[in-house]
Amino acid sequence: MTAAVLNGVPNGIASSSSSSSKLASYLSDETRFASIDKILDRKGPWTDERFEGGQGTKDFLRTQSKILVIGAGGLGCEILQNLALTGFNDIHVIDMDTIDISNLNRQFLFREVDVGKSKALVAAEFVMNRVPGVKVTPYHGKIQDHPISFYEQFNIVVAGLDSISARRWINATLVQMAQEDEEQLKPLIDGGTEGFKGQARVILPTVTSCYECSIDMLTPPTAFPICTIANTPRLPEHCIEWASVLEWPKVHKDKKLDTDDPDHIEWLYQQASARAAQFKIEGVTWALTQGVVKNIIPAIASTNAIIAASCCNEALKIATACAPYLNNYMMYVGNDSVYTYTFEHEKRPECPVCGGESLTAEAGRYWTLERFIESLTNRQDLQISKPSLSYSKGALFWPSPPDVFEATKPNLDKLLSDLLDEEEGIVVTDPALPVSVNLSIKYVDAEEPAQ
Amino acid sequence: MPSSPPSGSDQERRPTKITKMDDSIDVTHATTGTAEIPSYRPDAKTRRYDRQLRLWASAGQRSLESARVLLVGCDATGCQALKNLVLPGISHFTILSPHLTTSQDVATNFFLHPDSVGSPIAEQSVKYLKELNPAVDGSPRVEELSSLLVSEPEFFTSFTLILASNIEPAFELQLADLLWDTSASVGGPDIPLIAIRNSGFIGRVEIQLREHSVVDTHPDTTHTLRLDEPFPSLEEHARSLDLSTMDSMEHSHIPWVVLLVRAASLWKESRGGKLPGTSEEKARFKKSIKEDMMKGDEENYEEALAQAYRVWSKSEVPWEIKQLLEDESVKNISSSSKNLQILLHTLSLFTSIAPHLPPTSPSLPDMHSSTTSYVHLQNLYKKEYQTDLARFKQLLSEVLGNIDLEDGTIPDEEVEGFVKNVGGVGIIKGTPLRASKEGKGLITEQIKEYQYDEYDGSTTCFAMHLALLASEQFFIAHKRWPGAKAQQDMSEDNREVEEILKGILGKKNLEEVDDIFVECIAEVTRGGFGTLPTTAAFLGGVVAQEAIKLVTNQYTPLDNTVIVNLVKSESAKFKF
Repeated sequence: MTAAVLNGVPNGIASSSSSSSKLASYLSDETRFASIDKILDRKGPWTDERFEGGQGTKDFLRTQSKILVIGAGGLGCEILQNLALTGFNDIHVIDMDTIDISNLNRQFLFREVDVGKSKALVAAEFVMNRVPGVKVTPYHGKIQDHPISFYEQFNIVVAGLDSISARRWINATLVQMAQEDEEQLKPLIDGGTEGFKGQARVILPTVTSCYECSIDMLTPPTAFPICTIANTPRLPEHCIEWASVLEWPKVHKDKKLDTDDPDHIEWLYQQASARAAQFKIEGVTWALTQGVVKNIIPAIASTNAIIAASCCNEALKIATACAPYLNNYMMYVGNDSVYTYTFEHEKRPECPVCGGESLTAEAGRYWTLERFIESLTNRQDLQISKPSLSYSKGALFWPSPPDVFEATKPNLDKLLSDLLDEEEGIVVTDPALPVSVNLSIKYVDAEEPAQ
Repeated sequence: MPSSPPSGSDQERRPTKITKMDDSIDVTHATTGTAEIPSYRPDAKTRRYDRQLRLWASAGQRSLESARVLLVGCDATGCQALKNLVLPGISHFTILSPHLTTSQDVATNFFLHPDSVGSPIAEQSVKYLKELNPAVDGSPRVEELSSLLVSEPEFFTSFTLILASNIEPAFELQLADLLWDTSASVGGPDIPLIAIRNSGFIGRVEIQLREHSVVDTHPDTTHTLRLDEPFPSLEEHARSLDLSTMDSMEHSHIPWVVLLVRAASLWKESRGGKLPGTSEEKARFKKSIKEDMMKGDEENYEEALAQAYRVWSKSEVPWEIKQLLEDESVKNISSSSKNLQILLHTLSLFTSIAPHLPPTSPSLPDMHSSTTSYVHLQNLYKKEYQTDLARFKQLLSEVLGNIDLEDGTIPDEEVEGFVKNVGGVGIIKGTPLRASKEGKGLITEQIKEYQYDEYDGSTTCFAMHLALLASEQFFIAHKRWPGAKAQQDMSEDNREVEEILKGILGKKNLEEVDDIFVECIAEVTRGGFGTLPTTAAFLGGVVAQEAIKLVTNQYTPLDNTVIVNLVKSESAKFKF
């Protein structure tokens, strides 16, 4: 992880004296903010009583507030632009990615010559050049690599992420910070888009519903049963999955599939095409192959613009109180005319991150542990795939490390009710879960023992 | 407490490797012994546009790449909209503005720099917008809109689409009139106008066009499975299966479509050709399927039971399309009709002939099945589609002949797209912007019926629209916007806007207006018709989405007004 702090002096400007004097007179011209000042100086009919407006509000926004942007991709570029123009002058941005050519149709702070460079660094430099006076501090790396103390310095966090697990992590981290010290309550503004649709939401950790509360709203990823892939392919997608899930490891052994390597995609495409021909299935293309293995979500500039603008509009409202902020979710749908839906998503009392109540899992009295684990991985409100289960006596079943796996594997075939009493809770952890989940089991008698 | 960093994130977001720029194909190291398969490794352009091609495909991209867009008025909102059109690759854009850049412009518009102050704003923004995509051409036109409207009206009609961002209300209407009148003349271009107005947190987008066709609305499903009226080859296939001699493997892999066609066919045979109608019959129908199950957990039978309702939903032309077929422009076509009108006219003839059904679509959803059964079924549908397509093309050729157009006037690709997906088209008939601005047209009734409802954000948006209309009339009277001065007390401007709004509502002098109007006026004038960068970016996104839909003839565009209220983070659309 690199933390590069660039200063706020735009490159190439200082070289020309006429433009540097132009810049100086621009920066000293306070009337340049006339448009924004209208809503920061004047109260609207729906503005909160406590709004003071005027210089104090502007000073807080422009000289005291510190805001963190997570992601410098499709949403991130837009968010950085908007925050800089709105008057946030101390902006920090984290992104672990480098620039790819397929980003250029929407990530408008990047050019062809930037391909391969760090998104965070290029975006920060661009914004500082274009909007002189703004300081953007980039971090090329993972959010998980920063300690909690890092997040304590910000007033607001705006997330424009394409990763569910990163969202779950930052959400859980901010909720935990607020739980331990209510002074450390940082509003989290989260945006997401897909094609012509998107959503923006405001999360006040511990106060409003959090990201984990709504995890069951996510469409489950399309998963093809392994037997379909192996034996009865029908769609081109089945052939592509066969190539990537079954053939790649068989042929390439330990070499990991890199879906960003065109040669790897080429190989999968060839394999999938051959299999499709063998089964008389039509429709395997390069684009589809890449789309399936990378789980590509269509993305366009205009949708990102709408959602990022909404996120930054909420950031402005939270930072200045000039208007009530979103409570707490807005959806935008542009496929069929223009449609927005604004509503309050409610807290889930048994949310593993912010709820107080423990989660209950129903289990048949004659279920094996394996069957029980399968039922957990199917739960929409957990979204886990490789859970580790522990109970009062230690590990119940852990998929790793190998020695624990070997030791706990025999439990899979045992009856759950032989292993656990109803009152006994279990603790579930999973790579996708940002926290450990306490589960209590409720036995239902409906099912007969399996043959 | 958050556990250790999720290791799953590695799989979800693999670090991006720099992709090679050359597009050479090297298949020599293909490791398996299969015959050589041509590779279509995408070129640099396809890779750049990959994420959008997955939405509107190459046909949409072609339309986009031939679009010429004019922005009238060079402000943050307009430039944000252009940004979102330059990035996906329109052909050309022009910005028309006579003004020189001020520091207020720079502070709100990302496509300006402090260096721009004092230079023509159109030139400056063109320069910074062009950087976004080397494939896009852009040019400034430093001139007054009002004089150009008089001296060179043909300038405006040379564009595919025009955006008017926060231009003076009187000129906005003149421009709208020019385009509306041009589209009325025979063969005159029908150029959509997207008019934008914003003040502080409030924004509005209006679209004027005479008529717009949508060739692909991208509906959720395009299947016409014909379960109720199977084509002969499908019914024969379903009836030919001998369930009793099948082994359990084969039995549990019959596609549900076949199971349902078979069950429906047997049912009709024993009941005088009628399908299940009453809920009792429907239950009995399902029961008959259940009885065929060999054991309790045959997935294909489970699917058939879940999909059984499709048997009693009639295969027919969708309601929306039927409405279109009744339209005069479809009933009476001529050589100047649009392709879509001619295709719909042909569809009308197609469905007038037995079996009075829309063409069969070649697509089939995935279902539990063996590969061979599925592929066989898929081929039955494909073959029927080919037959229907041939029949359709025959009719089309006659139709074209009747209106003195040559065969092939409509490209094959377009005909096939239409026949595959007859439910996914649409025609929008627009209204002149002047009518809604002057409170004539459709808005009259809506004003009469208006009732504020605090739980229905659209009623606030409607009041906001009237506040904007009243403010525009204020501008016409005073040559300045209400609330534009940097002063605290706006009561004088507000009072005057309220008086104008009373007139729009048809209220007498002493009558009070509802509080909601007073509030909406206050919020609109609070912004003083200045630009909030966030509002500009939001509207720029909305406008660009609509522009893309209009240019590609894909997805359904706004018809015709949307009000965005970013105080409450909501919006509502209206047809005025």
